[in-house]
Parts: sequence; C-alpha cells; structure tokens
Amino acid sequence: MALDVLGVVGFIRPHIDWHALAPELTLLGVGALLTTLDVLLAERGRNITPVLAGLGMLGVLVPIFTLLAAGVVGEPRVLFGGAYVVDGFALLLKGLFVAAGYVVILMSTHYVAEGDYWGNEYYGLMLSSLLGMVVMSSARDLISIFVALELLSIPAYLLATWRKRDLRSNEAGVKYYLMGVFASAIMLYGMSLLFGVSGSTILSEISASPGLSSGSASSAVVILGVVFVIVGFAFKVSAFPFHTWAPDVYEGSPTPITAFLSVASKTAGFVALMALVYVGFWERSNVYGPLLWFLAAASMTAGNLMALRQKNIVRLMAYSGVAQAGFMIAPLAIAGSSTLAADDATSAVLTYLVIYAAMNLGTFAVIMSVARRTRTGDVASYNGLFRTFPAMAVVMTIFLASLAGIPPAGGWFAKFVVFKALVSADNASGYVLAAVAAVNAVIAVGYYGKIAARMWFEKPWAASAEAVPEVASVGVSEEGASPDPAAAAPLSDSTQPIPAMVRTPLNLLPFSLRAALTITSLATLVFGILPFTVSTLTDVSLLSPFPG
Amino acid sequence: MSDFLRSYLTVGIFALLAVIMVALMLTLASVLRPERPQKQKYISYESGVDPVGEGWSQSRLRYYLFGLLFVMFDVEAVFIFPWATRLETYGVFGLVEMAIFIFILALGLFYAWRKRVLQWV
Repeated sequence: MALDVLGVVGFIRPHIDWHALAPELTLLGVGALLTTLDVLLAERGRNITPVLAGLGMLGVLVPIFTLLAAGVVGEPRVLFGGAYVVDGFALLLKGLFVAAGYVVILMSTHYVAEGDYWGNEYYGLMLSSLLGMVVMSSARDLISIFVALELLSIPAYLLATWRKRDLRSNEAGVKYYLMGVFASAIMLYGMSLLFGVSGSTILSEISASPGLSSGSASSAVVILGVVFVIVGFAFKVSAFPFHTWAPDVYEGSPTPITAFLSVASKTAGFVALMALVYVGFWERSNVYGPLLWFLAAASMTAGNLMALRQKNIVRLMAYSGVAQAGFMIAPLAIAGSSTLAADDATSAVLTYLVIYAAMNLGTFAVIMSVARRTRTGDVASYNGLFRTFPAMAVVMTIFLASLAGIPPAGGWFAKFVVFKALVSADNASGYVLAAVAAVNAVIAVGYYGKIAARMWFEKPWAASAEAVPEVASVGVSEEGASPDPAAAAPLSDSTQPIPAMVRTPLNLLPFSLRAALTITSLATLVFGILPFTVSTLTDVSLLSPFPG
Repeated sequence: MSDFLRSYLTVGIFALLAVIMVALMLTLASVLRPERPQKQKYISYESGVDPVGEGWSQSRLRYYLFGLLFVMFDVEAVFIFPWATRLETYGVFGLVEMAIFIFILALGLFYAWRKRVLQWV
C-alpha cells in the first residue's frame, strides 16, 4: 500500500514480440555458443568454429523469411514503445547484413587458419558486430541507435588488430578506435542537444516535437544537434572530410575485415543516417539537406581524385569506397524536397547498398586470392594477371566493371537509380548534384579501367624476382597490406609453424574462397542483367508509418 | 544572406567559440601566473621523485585484465540491486530475465577463467 501512496505503479509485464526479435536472438545464441565452445575446446575447436559460424548465419535467415511470410512488410511490428520497428526496410537490411556476414566468414576461413591467428574469438567477435548491425536496422530511437553503433564498432576495433604480429595492423586498430570514439563523442553531444530540445529519444517523437517541426523558428540548438549527429555518422561511412582513417585502417586490417568494414560497417552507418533523415529530422530538410549535399559532392570528387594516385590496391579500394559513399549519400541530400522524391531516394540508397555489398565483397575476395599467391598488395602485381591467373582476371574484370558502372555488371543499375532519384527531385540542387556525380562516374572509370588494362594487356608481373618459397610461406599471410613485396618476405621463414589446417596448396584456391567468389560474382551479374531482382527487394518506404 | 547559410553560421560560431575559449584560458593563465623557469621543472613528474630509467617501461597487463573483470561485476551489481528491491512484483518474468542476464555475464567470467586470466603469476 505504501507503493500506492508513493505513486509507484504496479509492474506490468511488457509484451514482447518474440517472433520479431527472433533474428537477433538467434544471432546472440550462436555467438554465445561459439564463445562456450571456444573456452571448452580451445584449439581443438578451430576446425568447427568457422563452419558453425557460417551455419549460424544461414540459420538467422530462417526467422527473417518467416517474418517476411508473416506479412511484416505490410504491417510493421512496433516494439518497446516505438524504439524498435521491424518493417520491410529493417527486414531487407537484416538480410543484407547476414548475407554479407556469411560471405565474410567464407573469406575468413582460410585466411585466419593460414595466418595462424586466433580463430575462435574471431568469429565470436564478428557475430557480435553483426548483431549490432542487425539491431541497427530496426532501431528508431537515439539510445538504441547508439547502443547498436557501439555493439557493432567495439568488436570491429578488435578485429582490425587481428594480425597482431604486424605493426601496421596494431596501428590500424588504434587509429580506428580513436577516430571511432571521437565520432561517437560528437554524435552523443548532438544527441544530447536533440533530447534537450524535444524531450524524447524516440525518433518519431523528436520529429513531431515543436522544437523540430518546420513551423518553428530556426533554433541554434536544433541545428547544432542535427549537424553533430550527421557528422558522427559521416565518420562511420567515411564521407569526405571525415574519411582520413579509412585508408590506413583498411590497409592494416586483415583483408576479410577490410571487406567487412567497407561493406557491412558502412551499410550500418547508412541505415542509421536514413532512419535519422526520414524519421527523426524529416521536418528539418533545410538543415540536413545542404550538409548532406556537400558531403556527397565532396566525397565523390575527393575520393575519386585521391584514388587515381594510389599504388596499393587496398588503399585504392579505400578511396574508391569514399567515392561510392558519396554516391550513396547523394539521394539523401534531396530526400526532403517531396514525398515522392523521398521514397525514390530510399529505394536508390538501398539498391546501391545491396549491389555495392556484392561487388565490393567480391573485389576483396579477388584481392585476397591474388595476394595469396603474390604476397603483395601492389597494384603492379596485377600486371598480366590474365596469363598467370586467368580465372581471377575474368572475375576481377566483372567486379571492376560493376564498380565503374558498366553494364551488364550490377553497378550500372545502382548508378542509374541514384541519377533517377536525383533528377526526380526536379530542383536545382538535384540537377547540379547529378552533374557532379556524372563527372565523377567518368573519373572513376579511369582508375578501375587502369587495373583492368594491367590485367589484360601488360606483361606478367615479375614474380620470379621475389620467388615465393612454396610451402614455408603458407604459414604467414601478410597479403593485401604490404605495399612492398620485400617487406613481407622476411616473415616467411621456416621457423613459423605451419598450421595443420592448411591443406590447399598456394596454386589452388581454397573451397571457401571459391564459394565467396562464386556467390558475389553471380549476385553482381544477376543484379546487372535482371535489375528487377534487386528493385523489387528495395521497393520499401520509411515514410509510410510516419506520414510527413 | 540566405537562410541555409545563416543556419550553418550557428555551427561556425560554435566552433569559433570553442577555439576562442581555449585560447582565452591559455592566454589568461600565461598572463596571471608567475614565471620562474628552472631546469628541474622540466623533468617529468613522478610523485616528487626524480624519474629513473627511460620513458618506455614495461608494466603488467594483469592489472588491466582484473580491472576489466571488476567492471563486469560492477555492471552486474548496478542492475541486480534495483531489481532485488522489487523482486516480488517482477515475479517469474523478472527471475528468468535476470537469470539470462547473469548467464551472459557469467559466460565472460567463464571465458576469463578458461583463458587463465584469474591466475596471478
């Protein structure tokens, strides 16, 4: 009775929609299982962890499909008072994250074993990072967005240092960590300002609050809040003025993790940006619009120009990723002009994200396969690849064509929908941004085409100069990271024990890597030749439950 | 000046204020404080004792690991205390929920134990 006097309400058991949370719970379960197996089996678990992690990822697809069958796209499930929404948008992104995670696990299987790196924790950390991303795709609340961001970032900081015998990898991890924390701090500052103005952390309530609605006078606090939050995520997606960490981190990290960061982590940043732009800041397109416009134009131009000068393939891909991020931000910049343009922009960004995931993961799989033989990340090592490694040359050409936007590879459709969305806004800023994008698409062909030309027309790279010791060097894989072939050589001495798991000779491709290449190249081609496969998937709207 | 430029002016003014604030404080301090440079003042401070050896020295990682483990129990306590005060109202639901929470945290302790972090060598 004392409780009633104090005004304390009795506890009401919250209704929890277990079905809607099933993908997250499955992922959590698999992660916990992997950790338990790791501590119980220790080194004996090395052979089964990658397999279990992969199967677990495929298992997460099951609840995603049952949710789809349950009609979540039509009627979204809203949990925790609007903080967590499972709708078509969230479901598509969960599927994308899980698929990308599966491909990264395929790429990692051999890399981790051959490098003799810790194997069990690697997959456990990757699953928890993926859990953060899957949570991010449903988060519609400042706190859930922040928790998801930290959950996906912290394991990624650790994974970046996984080649711990290499100083570059340590540097990558520390750099990524410091920049990530810096970005988080700026973002939190912005979030606290937004909470102060609106009195709520739920995005739809923030949008509806008098401080943010367009009728009210422009308040300095709202502007600072919006700008700081967007800048925080601009770090995550490596947009131009905030991209400086990307090349060093990408170069130092293990190559599968580079692929993971450049695809999955970047996608998660975009998911949060879209949730914020469409739900939280919807009424304030006059604030976020110009900022995103600048980020898009600057990222495309600066990324492409800097990529032209790169000598290392991984650094080149890092700058190319900056430019591609610019293309993905572009539709968001004009999203506020009308409801129609907004829905076009959603589909455009999602289409780009799906196709980008396929082609970028594929490119990194090729980089790994080539570096496994050549032991270097030098662009020159791609000279005459068609003669020494014809299959890789063909597959790489598909991915490069896709990245450059040449049909029939998938990238053309991604670029097409972006241009369509920009033009459909039908205002000056949309047309100018489309023109900037068009110029940049041409610049990009320059450096993608140069690699293709190297592969098909040049004399084979002089691998004989730094002859690879056939078996001994299998124990150490320092690929992708070393711009100088000689730097990797001293490590490959016979004192390094060869892990028992390395059974595939250097001149053959491991099965898992082959599977990753097949999946990504097929996806890239299918998306390019039959664009409706991706456009039907990405035809979702973020606006429907919250009419602007 | 257009509307959108004016709105970004806020951000510019904010950044400028941050810079001015730091500059102001440093200048003010340098004006007010007495300045009597001595050689000893430039030695790195180690609790009043003259530093021994070089700047690079090895320190035990174990303190850090124990610190991390402490955080684990700390988090556990932060959530368990408020939960325990109202245990009856939460009923079986609360019990199961807390059991899951403790299980996940215990997994961390189990991990630390199996990785031999708990041994003090």
